[in-house]
Amino acid sequence: MSERIVLKGRPAYPGKAAGKALVCPDSIQGWAGVSEETGCIIEAGHPEEGKSIKGKILVIPYGKGSTGWSGHFHSAAVAGFSPAGWLFSHIDSRCGVAAAALEIPAVADFPEDVDIFSVIRTGDHVEIDGDTGMVVITRQ
Amino acid sequence: MVKLTEYEQKMYDGGMGAFKQRAIHKIVDYANALGAKELCTVSKATVYFGYHPYLDAVESEDYDEIFSKMVLCDNENVYKLDSFSEECFAQTCVGPCDHYCHEPVGISKEVFDKNRKFLELTREAGVSIAGSCTPYLSGWLPLRGEHFVSTESSNILMCNSILGACANADGLEASAWSAICGRTPLWGLHIKENRYATHVVEICCPSETPLDWDMIGYALGKKLTEGNERPVLVGDFKKPDLDKLKKCFSSLATTSGCEICHIVGCTAEAGTLEEALAGYEPKKRQTITLEDYEDAVRANCDAGSADLQMVVLGCPHYSLAEIRAVAAILKGRKVADGVSLQIWTDMAIQQLAEVNGYAAIIKEAGAYLLNSACPLVCGRTVYDRITTGVAVDGAKQAHYYHSDLSSRGCKIFYGDTEKCVEAAIKGRWEVQPCRNVLF
Repeated sequence: MSERIVLKGRPAYPGKAAGKALVCPDSIQGWAGVSEETGCIIEAGHPEEGKSIKGKILVIPYGKGSTGWSGHFHSAAVAGFSPAGWLFSHIDSRCGVAAAALEIPAVADFPEDVDIFSVIRTGDHVEIDGDTGMVVITRQ
Repeated sequence: MVKLTEYEQKMYDGGMGAFKQRAIHKIVDYANALGAKELCTVSKATVYFGYHPYLDAVESEDYDEIFSKMVLCDNENVYKLDSFSEECFAQTCVGPCDHYCHEPVGISKEVFDKNRKFLELTREAGVSIAGSCTPYLSGWLPLRGEHFVSTESSNILMCNSILGACANADGLEASAWSAICGRTPLWGLHIKENRYATHVVEICCPSETPLDWDMIGYALGKKLTEGNERPVLVGDFKKPDLDKLKKCFSSLATTSGCEICHIVGCTAEAGTLEEALAGYEPKKRQTITLEDYEDAVRANCDAGSADLQMVVLGCPHYSLAEIRAVAAILKGRKVADGVSLQIWTDMAIQQLAEVNGYAAIIKEAGAYLLNSACPLVCGRTVYDRITTGVAVDGAKQAHYYHSDLSSRGCKIFYGDTEKCVEAAIKGRWEVQPCRNVLF
């Protein structure tokens, strides 16, 4: 029996994407955060250390650390390790640039009473629509 | 959707060439991602140009192709490097090598040559070579209310907080887009009403030394877990100077995405706590305790002792005063065999260190006064010499080394400048009681 949850945020970059969620409530640091050679999280002590961002819907609150935040995700994308889409709970400039640089669908700024980090779990199947802001979560 | 002026629309439609058109298209994408309504004019920029390691993701020798893919983010089209905005003074941030030498850095001649070639190409397009993460030390100073972009996170904190200038942490690509088209989204800290403090943080830990302020920044960043927080520091702290703030802001921007940090009685928009809060009730009141401070030290400095192969000072780039202090410790002494003691600054400060004889003392001691980069930014082969231990006096370096060097099994030590220099002379980091009986 699968569970289906629908959320709506602000459309931040157009297009549709689907994939497994990689949920990072403490974000991922830019510098030394994601390997540009493997697409895996390398931030020391990160709860999802070792997991690949490739093809995932990254669920993060905001950017963290170096101003090069977007650049590291973009390099990983150019090397073939692009996430499928982004969900940002509170967009900031680092995430805004990353959305524009990677050109993958993004939805941001969910209502105050929606905590995407408690609603979405790593491994959930997530569909996002960057034109309407609709997010559909399916959990087996 | 963002609304453009007639001038911006002309650029957007290609009336000022394909290079500027692509840049403003990306700025519009960025503005729409943020939900910005209009753009604003940028008059100063620092950009992350040169042959940086991340560019190796593009397997090409053609800089136009590399720039198009990695900076203009276009995988389909190649743009010929064209002129940057005439309204915006742009200079380079740190690069991947010293501007004049490569061997002491641990970088190949091939990378050195390619870096100089790339920097020359962008210089011809209008980007001055500066190689600095502390551009305010050599005259790049946006004034109160002036809109700027920068690729150095600590510089963004410094210019927003101390000078009252306006910027968001845009990142490598967007800073370049802005330097080319002269525009950035009018959003976030570019709007006066968005700059007031949201979190009141009381400093209840040591605040006398540069290391203290490095740890305050590190611990503060760990507490900012909600995103877009704008702290104001209060309490019975010792008022910091520019060199201490340099440390504080670099570590704060390491553990958080913080872009402005008010300090009562010190920063531009915080003459008083009331001024910093601008009539708003703070979302949270927090404290940085001695325990937070000690946790920050432990996070950066590994336990135990080890022989050292490298000691790195100058993160962020050293001021003349900091170089003078190191020269005073090194005078008449020698760095241990097998240790590379590196002191990083920019070319302008390096020249002043030459004029004043500090550079000669450093050279005589067997240490290196280097410019335009740091090991973290150089990456590639710079860590190859490290087999058992490295020591640094900047928490930003220490923090990221823990990721970059984690697979090498070496120890990463962090301490104040004097302890690092003495360790370089001895060739070994020894555990010893210090002021806070920690390391």
